[in-house]
Amino acid sequence: MPAFAALRQFPSSDPTSEAIVAVTPRKTRLISDSDAAIGSPLRKSPRFCKEGTPHSSPTANIRKCLKTSLNLSGSPQKKQLSEDFVERQNWNPRDETQRRAVNEALHVSTAQTNVVCRENEQNRILDFCKKCIKEEKAGSLYVCGCPGTGKTLSMEKVKAMLADWANEECIQYPDVLPINCTSLANMNDIFSKILEQNHSGKRRSHSTSSLQQLQNLYSQQTPGMKMILVIADELDYLITRDRAVLHDLFMLTTLPFSKCILLGVANAIDLADRFIPKLRSLNGKHMVITFCAYSKDQIINILQERLRALPYTVFQPQALELCARKVAAASGDMRKALAVCRNAIEILIGDSMLSSLDGTEDQQKSAENVSMSNQVRIDHVAAALSKVYKSPVVDTIISLPQHQQIILCSVVKLFRGGKKKDTTLGELNKYYVDVCKSTSIPPVGILELSSMCRVLDDQGILKLGQSRDDKLRRVTLKVDGADIVFALQGVRFFRNCLQ
Amino acid sequence: MAETQQMKKFKTPSKGTPKAKHPISIDHHIAPQTPQSATPSAINLRRSHRLTAAFPEHRPAISSFNTHQSAAKTRKIFENPPLVLPTEISITPASPPPVESRKKRKFHEKSAEKSKDSRNVKYKHAADRKVKKKVYYKKVVYDGGEFSAGHDVYVKRRSDASSDDEDPEVEECRVCFKPAGRRVLIECDDCLNGFHLKCLKPPLKAVPDGDWVCCYCVARKNGEVMEFPEPQAGKKRARTAREKLLSSDLWAARIESLWKEVDGTYWFRARWYIIPEETAVGRQPHNLRRELYRTNDFADVEMESIIRHCFVMSPREFANAADGGDDVFLCEYEYEVQWHSFKRIAEIDNNENDGERVVDNDADWNSCDEFDSGSDFDSEEEAAYEDKKRNRLSQLSSLRPVAANSRKGQIFGLQKIGAKKIPENLRSRKQTDLEKAKSTLLLATLPKSLPCRDREMIEITTFIKGAICDEQCLGRCLYVHGVPGTGKTMSVLAVMRNLKSEVDAGSIRPYCFVEINGLKLASPENIYSVIYEGLTGHRVGWKKALNLLNARFSDENKCRKDTRPCILLIDELDLLVTRNQAVLYNILDWPTRPNSKLIVIGIANTMDLPEKLLPRISSRMGIQRLCFGPYNFQQLQEIISSRLKGIDAFEKVAIEFASRKVAAVSGDARRALEICRRAAEFLQNRKVMAGMADVEAAIKEMFQAPHIQLAMAVSSFCANNGETFPGYDTLLKVGCKLGECRLLLCESGTRHKLQKLQLNYPNDDVTFALKDSKELPWLAKYI
Repeated sequence: MPAFAALRQFPSSDPTSEAIVAVTPRKTRLISDSDAAIGSPLRKSPRFCKEGTPHSSPTANIRKCLKTSLNLSGSPQKKQLSEDFVERQNWNPRDETQRRAVNEALHVSTAQTNVVCRENEQNRILDFCKKCIKEEKAGSLYVCGCPGTGKTLSMEKVKAMLADWANEECIQYPDVLPINCTSLANMNDIFSKILEQNHSGKRRSHSTSSLQQLQNLYSQQTPGMKMILVIADELDYLITRDRAVLHDLFMLTTLPFSKCILLGVANAIDLADRFIPKLRSLNGKHMVITFCAYSKDQIINILQERLRALPYTVFQPQALELCARKVAAASGDMRKALAVCRNAIEILIGDSMLSSLDGTEDQQKSAENVSMSNQVRIDHVAAALSKVYKSPVVDTIISLPQHQQIILCSVVKLFRGGKKKDTTLGELNKYYVDVCKSTSIPPVGILELSSMCRVLDDQGILKLGQSRDDKLRRVTLKVDGADIVFALQGVRFFRNCLQ
Repeated sequence: MAETQQMKKFKTPSKGTPKAKHPISIDHHIAPQTPQSATPSAINLRRSHRLTAAFPEHRPAISSFNTHQSAAKTRKIFENPPLVLPTEISITPASPPPVESRKKRKFHEKSAEKSKDSRNVKYKHAADRKVKKKVYYKKVVYDGGEFSAGHDVYVKRRSDASSDDEDPEVEECRVCFKPAGRRVLIECDDCLNGFHLKCLKPPLKAVPDGDWVCCYCVARKNGEVMEFPEPQAGKKRARTAREKLLSSDLWAARIESLWKEVDGTYWFRARWYIIPEETAVGRQPHNLRRELYRTNDFADVEMESIIRHCFVMSPREFANAADGGDDVFLCEYEYEVQWHSFKRIAEIDNNENDGERVVDNDADWNSCDEFDSGSDFDSEEEAAYEDKKRNRLSQLSSLRPVAANSRKGQIFGLQKIGAKKIPENLRSRKQTDLEKAKSTLLLATLPKSLPCRDREMIEITTFIKGAICDEQCLGRCLYVHGVPGTGKTMSVLAVMRNLKSEVDAGSIRPYCFVEINGLKLASPENIYSVIYEGLTGHRVGWKKALNLLNARFSDENKCRKDTRPCILLIDELDLLVTRNQAVLYNILDWPTRPNSKLIVIGIANTMDLPEKLLPRISSRMGIQRLCFGPYNFQQLQEIISSRLKGIDAFEKVAIEFASRKVAAVSGDARRALEICRRAAEFLQNRKVMAGMADVEAAIKEMFQAPHIQLAMAVSSFCANNGETFPGYDTLLKVGCKLGECRLLLCESGTRHKLQKLQLNYPNDDVTFALKDSKELPWLAKYI
């Protein structure tokens, strides 16, 4: 396995990533935190007790190396890896229960007991909440970050930690109201929900809106009122045309006797600033906590954390690393990383099914070979990754029906030279008929052509504008012309055309 | 002069001596049986009162005198109490038959209305005399029953019917005619008859969950005749008051007020209820068996005609009525007899008691508020309300011992009515090969096998199985995309069918499957209620459904009974994209929650839908994609020939030709099948196999644009003008005609000479069409 061997060097010989890890103080702290967390329960090999986890992977190694002041060499690491494999049981993908366990461990919905790599953010949120509760003061916090960076998960965690803390300190635990703003039928429902939570037993009068009642409630002193912690997920769904709801929501926390701690969660980094400038002037120290996209190391860390509970090695470290690197480079979306891993497992299972069909050959394999074949290798991950990140344009174009290919060919010809960016359907038809005539293929009618263009529009290759008349609809190319040329080059017919 | 006449009229009743009082009382006795109680004399009486009220200033002396007089007379009557009354009651004349009575009722409604207005004045004006004449009671104990205003009662409709006398309180089994006793009676949801569990054939061991319809009703619906068993000779089947009411042999009324007449008889003012059959629209499918309508029709009725209490309740009360018994009815709407219109009672009541009852009505208000908030979804809310009612009903029936199973009131749904299928063997003639071919080529025909999509089907199967087979069903999401006519939906459904058979065989755990087509939804949000209905069978409004679904798919609700995994197939997924994409977000967020057990399969045409969506949605959507590429010609050929297997109707070349032609343009299997079917139709009269020529003709028909055919037709129209130069008017007319069939694009005809024309189709097409026309050979020269 040349590829495998080559990549084995990869983690250690990548100075850039180390540099990143070494430079940012936050991440180093993170790592040391997680180191402490990782330690105890599943330790098997006494040899690594001092330095890390038994199944230390490249990251663990990097970690260790950081401690030893970046003193790195390739060979000990290789040794560790191979010994690691021996330590653990072999994973048998054909075993139903094992497969299920792995799938479950890697599923999005499976929440981990400890959310690694987000301790810093969690602590900041927790501190904020603690401070507010202690001082019985309202406050608002805005949490932003890309999708799949563990915002909602961290919120859950914070909720649990807060409950623990309140128990320990014997402080009255505030009412917690998690709301997902997408599930609100009406934006103003959020106020009535908060109000309901505030005094669940009492009757509501209907002369005033729930917002007004809340404002009244918070602008005069009422003794014995509990704090309320509102966690509003997907906050940007509250943006209305006049931004009133969002504004009112944040303004609630600025009222003199407000008991509302608001944690808003959304993707946009500047939502609070953009839409609530007034809030800034009133409450200068409005806190924003950003969840950065996961870095490569963090993704590896989380994946390992998830796989730790399993008594067998499923992924080769290199495979995990490849996955993490690719995902981190593209989006840093943890959901994607998990999906890739699961997909890779499925590919492996499919492979092993095929090989088990061969039968006899399988049995003759050496023990080492078997153990290797039962782990998810780099090629599996690469296949899964290509499913996600590879652009399907070329394949799609190759599999298109002939006439649609001719249309694309004529579009490319039309736009060649760069003077034109778009055309109309009528003009395209002219070109198309020309191409057809030059190759003595009977052209289809214009109605048929427009329906074919609509199909291409559906596939995201062309873009059709809106117009009253079919003939006047604007046609623009949505994929790169070079892609089309590349895809059609294989066919001699088109090669002549495109020349 | 009018005044004097009125005076006369006024006098007639008051002149009445004690003797004359009797006919009046008899009139009143008629009244109870017919709800149109206002008999002529009663009208007179009332009118007279109104008159006194209307002209008090003009003739105060007279009116006061008259009232005094009448008061004196009343007292007289009191002095010799009418002992005759009981006998009179026994000989009360029979009312006219129901139909007639209804007519009469309508006639008298207005008078009843009028009298209502007049009453108020009457009370105020003549307080002193009324005290002596009529005594109003809040509560009356009459014949062992305690009645007060606001109670609902059964009222006799015919006095001669002897059956009215017997009034079994206990319902009997419809088969053995013995009362329930200790054994359980099960109530049929259709005919409301009670049955002993043992008396049924086959006997039931336990009360079934859900709807239950007795075998008699089932038989009746199937069009067979199955009579209920006849009671033994000499024993008459006793009908309960409820049965009589629902077969319009009794009235139900609400007591508005109670009083004692001057002659000592007790009267009450009745507000009638009617059964759905008596409304203008008749019984509708959504009417429940026990549903009544309150009318705005009033009448004064003698207390003697009251049989006993019944209980008419609002849907909310109806649901909570645990002690119900057989005499519980549901009333949600008021029926306006004049306009034949329905109003929800809750709304009416709220309007009436604007000020005073706000505090009591708070809860009602709330619910009303909620219902009215989404004015766009009015009808939907209505439906939701309807269903809430049904839910309550089903709850109720589980509480009551007699009605054993839930009643959803949907028994007479349209789906139950269907055309009868004519068995194949009744057809005299054997189908020819061609006919068979045509029928198998129909798009609607379900093929026995789906060739060429094996790979995709395996992928879908592994996807679903991978999710379902585990004890712990992990939510996942699959996006299926491909151009139209490539078998996306069909493959998924075929997989589901296969899985279904595996479930039946027991190798897979059961699951629920909900199929939704985005095109069939009135609005994207409606999908929530459709999903919820699919999962539970209850229809609720989408806002409520969203909340319920959120609760269902989040892990908080661990105690839920239904732990089956759920597969959600959404066809035309791209139509669910709303402005803020909240619908898609919610649907795709559910599978990522723990214990959701939800598998979403989305189907759409667009390849790049996930990329078009917000990143947070595509992140939740996962990476599972499945592409259905367009068919190539071998595949199309295989599809057609697999459909035509065993039928010798097409030449092999012909099939290949058709599939090649289609594959070159779109790869749409539907089209290929259509072409072949059309070719078979061309063949109709000849007894040969379909060949190239037929397919060619079909293809021409399908692919050749209609405008060319049209141009050919129009050219013959032009030929009528000959070669003579047409006048300007004709030219204009022709221009407009061409514009109408969109051959030309032209501006509106009002601009006449300045009208601009533009050819809508390429010049070449026109040339092609006109080139071969025989009538105008010279045209070709010009082109």
